[in-house]
Amino acid sequence: MLPQLFVNGLIAGSIYALVALGFGLIYSTTRFFHFAHGAVYAVGAYLTYAGWLWGLSLYIAIPLAVIGTSALGALLDIAVYRPLRKKGASSLILLLASLGLFIVIQNLISLIFGDDTKTIRSGAVTEGLPIFDARITPIQITIIAVSVPLLALCSVFMRRTKIGKVMRAVANDPELARVVGIESDQIVLFTFVLGSALAAIAAILISLDTDMTPMMGFYALLMGVVAVIAGGVGSIPGSALGGLLVGMAQHLGVWKISTQWQDTIVFLILIFFLLFRPQGFLGKAVKKVSV
Amino acid sequence: MDYLLHILILINIYIILVISLDLIAGYTGLLSIAHAAFYGIGAYATALLSLHFQTNFLVNMALGMAGAALLGTIIAFPSLRIHDDYFVIATFGFQMIVYSVFNNWVDFTRGPLGIPGIPTASLFGFAIDSHWKFLILSALFACLAYGVVHKLVNSPYGRVLKAIREDEIFARSLGKNVNSYKIQVFAIGGALASVAGNLYAHYVTFIDPTSFTILESILVISMVIIGGAGSLRGPVIGAVVLVILPEALRFVGLPSSVAANLRQIFYGSLLVLMMLYRPQGLIGEFNLQGR
Repeated sequence: MLPQLFVNGLIAGSIYALVALGFGLIYSTTRFFHFAHGAVYAVGAYLTYAGWLWGLSLYIAIPLAVIGTSALGALLDIAVYRPLRKKGASSLILLLASLGLFIVIQNLISLIFGDDTKTIRSGAVTEGLPIFDARITPIQITIIAVSVPLLALCSVFMRRTKIGKVMRAVANDPELARVVGIESDQIVLFTFVLGSALAAIAAILISLDTDMTPMMGFYALLMGVVAVIAGGVGSIPGSALGGLLVGMAQHLGVWKISTQWQDTIVFLILIFFLLFRPQGFLGKAVKKVSV
Repeated sequence: MDYLLHILILINIYIILVISLDLIAGYTGLLSIAHAAFYGIGAYATALLSLHFQTNFLVNMALGMAGAALLGTIIAFPSLRIHDDYFVIATFGFQMIVYSVFNNWVDFTRGPLGIPGIPTASLFGFAIDSHWKFLILSALFACLAYGVVHKLVNSPYGRVLKAIREDEIFARSLGKNVNSYKIQVFAIGGALASVAGNLYAHYVTFIDPTSFTILESILVISMVIIGGAGSLRGPVIGAVVLVILPEALRFVGLPSSVAANLRQIFYGSLLVLMMLYRPQGLIGEFNLQGR
């Protein structure tokens, strides 16, 4: 039982880590909670579904969906967030606007595709392969094989490449970044593209395993928020670790507590962190009221 | 005719919700996305008490208010340590926890099955058994809630709340016990919101967790923000518009499922547009930009 729960936690955790990484990257360069990230995530899955309905093979539909989702992320930034930033909007205003965007996008998905579960799984359901004492399906192996290297790649990208360093500079101090001639708007736009692509990949992976509904984004977003806060807002390894923590807590909790409470555990973790360590386990001090 | 009365009753219930949230979010500046939790506590207290103990309307209301006030003091606690968007996230967490209790504590709340057969209200032996009578009852309580909050915010007490909203440190420097005000305001606002839940349960006579989801909380905060947080008339206008709108869509001949999605798309886009062009809402006083 325990190895299986561990594997389940790892799979869920690596998906949450991808969502949290995108969400956390966007937070670190823009300083607001981009709730519409959840809806963007669901769009990733539904675009794949649309391509698949169209008769495209998944190998073509998936990259197209990732590109389409990134474009949506860029569009949200250009059409809504950038004008708000230009007006110097507070983080609360940006948060409320993103909540509005979330609702609009999610309902558009419902209108177009309906509220019922859609699947892009093809072929017969296969029994999982036994590994140690756990069973793991080929799709689940794919999830881990894609997400773990992707997380590592992002981490290298942020530390080694020029654009990664510039992103971290903007995250660290937008004013100072502007002083040394960094176009912060371009960098923020790039962050939205990258974050949305990560969300799309996570959504596509999970929908290959457990199908999709229009509400899927909301759930993933909440897990991502908890992961980002637990890991430390603005810290990239923190977001990924937070995602793993949430996945593990959710699934290992089931060992002692009945399954229906697994989400409750996650939200208790959230409240705990917000109350006692709002900067998370790897983050910097959180903002206080200023004069 | 009954249909028209039904709409008016719903408007009264939502007026209670927006007025009580306005006290918390608009006047004290503590933006909360947990209002459906209070609403749900009122409804569940009513349903469980009247079915298990055959208590009457007023007893249900009093106990529901006590329960919601208790929950309010708990939800207020993070606001003593964290602010703005972080606090919004904390209320998110509380909303999810309360919802999962409604949905998962099956022995107590019957979970997703909901609780049918709640008796209609009766006041001093006088049965409130028709739409007309219930409309008068709900209007009475909506006016009462409006009156209470109106009295409160125009008193010295209300001026302290506004001071906390505008500049917390300044309020503290005048010797005001800001923490205690925040807790009180959440207790009062929560208790008022539970009245709406009580009316709803007696009116519909069936409740299930789907009425108290986070989407309901987002709807209520949208009504407040779109109408104008920090004024009393603004949120009332917001409530009236957002209740009537989906009904109007139904008259145009759209099926109710499409109308539900369209309503959400409408208020989501309204929220985005408001943030872009008029963040203080239609006639609000609380400038979200102010910090």
